[in-house]
Amino acid sequence: MTRILGDDWLLPDLDDLNREWFTRGRICIQSCGDCEAVQHPPEPVCHACGASKFTWRESAGQGRIESFAVIHHPVHPLLAKQCPYTLLVVSLDDVPGVNVIGNLNGAEGVPLEVGQPVRAIFEEVQDLSIPQWELAS
Amino acid sequence: MHGSAVVVGVGETQYYKRGDAPQSEFALACETIRRAADDAGIDVRDIDGIVSYMDQRNTPVRLAASLGLRKLDFTADPFSGGGNNVGAAIQLADAAITAGYAKHVVAFRAIAQGQFGRFGQARAQGARAMALLSWSTIYGLLTAGAECALHTRRFMHDHGISQEALCDIVLACYANAQRNPRALRKGTELTREKYHDSRWIVEPFHLYDCCPENDGAAAVVITSPERARDLRPKPVSIVAAAQGLGPRFGIAPFQPRWLGGSFYADAGETLWQRAGIRAADVDVVQFYENFSGPVMMAMCEMGFCEPGEFEAFVAGGALEGPDARLPFNTSGGNLGEAYIHGFELVNEAVRQVRGASTCQVAKAEASLVVAGPGYCPASTVLFGPG
Repeated sequence: MTRILGDDWLLPDLDDLNREWFTRGRICIQSCGDCEAVQHPPEPVCHACGASKFTWRESAGQGRIESFAVIHHPVHPLLAKQCPYTLLVVSLDDVPGVNVIGNLNGAEGVPLEVGQPVRAIFEEVQDLSIPQWELAS
Repeated sequence: MHGSAVVVGVGETQYYKRGDAPQSEFALACETIRRAADDAGIDVRDIDGIVSYMDQRNTPVRLAASLGLRKLDFTADPFSGGGNNVGAAIQLADAAITAGYAKHVVAFRAIAQGQFGRFGQARAQGARAMALLSWSTIYGLLTAGAECALHTRRFMHDHGISQEALCDIVLACYANAQRNPRALRKGTELTREKYHDSRWIVEPFHLYDCCPENDGAAAVVITSPERARDLRPKPVSIVAAAQGLGPRFGIAPFQPRWLGGSFYADAGETLWQRAGIRAADVDVVQFYENFSGPVMMAMCEMGFCEPGEFEAFVAGGALEGPDARLPFNTSGGNLGEAYIHGFELVNEAVRQVRGASTCQVAKAEASLVVAGPGYCPASTVLFGPG
């Protein structure tokens, strides 16, 4: 698929903290290997117990809009043609306690509301599989 | 629990539209510090402490050399964010004076978005975004405007607040700017219609919800009450200051605990405890408006009104002028006077206590500054008669 923010837009440098999010092809959230607390974005240390061993908890990718912002003013030349585009803050139905950020695909002109259901989609680019969102109904 | 220092000098350069300042940012910094020292009636060379915020490009060592300071005993710059640390900078100056680490501390901010990069323009470049920033950059979450919009949208949803409330905040800043000869928006009339007709920058922010980019500098000189007795200006007391954040902020401002708000409940409670007063006792407020929405959230979190009552609280010009229900951003603030990264709000709060504002409230014994809501840590400072 064409990327929501355009095929020229930046891709992420990968490190141990963001590799799973941007390559796994499933929504995955960092979970503490000791106490199972979840946190996002991932950190080297668990906020709940201080441990530094983690697993990745996979989500089925169903969620809800917790907030949204429609960007009209391009602040970067590469995004000029993509405006307006929509930022989402999304909560996951099956991993409570964290919110994730993404863009909304294919809903131009559709009025949005907090609480609307969304589902994950993935932009396949090079070695990456970038999580994004579309309206679920 | 608070310090004991007082403000004895206030200074600013002329304020300019972005790129219009005829001198460099460093020269603006030197000029504003000299003016604040002149206002205090001290020799600028007797300043021995320098504080600012947001990784000042105009470093204390360079300033000390150019201003001819005799010695430099104290420097500080609080971590993280930007305009959120306006109050924290004053708090650091207060701490240094109270502890005796310095005799005359200048707190300042100089900003030339013509000379240096613009806040409202992303700098991301290269084929790959830094891993640490990838969580936001990859999704085009590049500016404070977008971040504040996400918080604001959720707050409006949670409490049933309409766009009119944001408009009322903006109109108050523009109305108060008409009284202030320093204000860059003096002479620019703004109506409710013009506000709604203006283009979206990032919904729910219209053009007029967003602060301009400006050049200029502002500073205050802070010293002990004992030294202030020998100086001409009426001292203005730093009654209390607070900075901080609640549990689990980290790098995750959009996590559930923080999404529908602006981080000011904790710092606000700390400030009231230190000051021994509450929001209802405050006479005049200066709220940092990088965007209108964070003002709304911080005003509620600081306890000025309940979120569900906010729209009525600000309606009908309730924030405009010296006789307002809550006299607010009386110089015009970031939106109407100039965006000097919020430091011009400190100068205005001090002027109110001195009785020297262009929108002077009758009684200004509790004069509050709330620094940049929308970023963490929060910071806030309360001034009163010395």
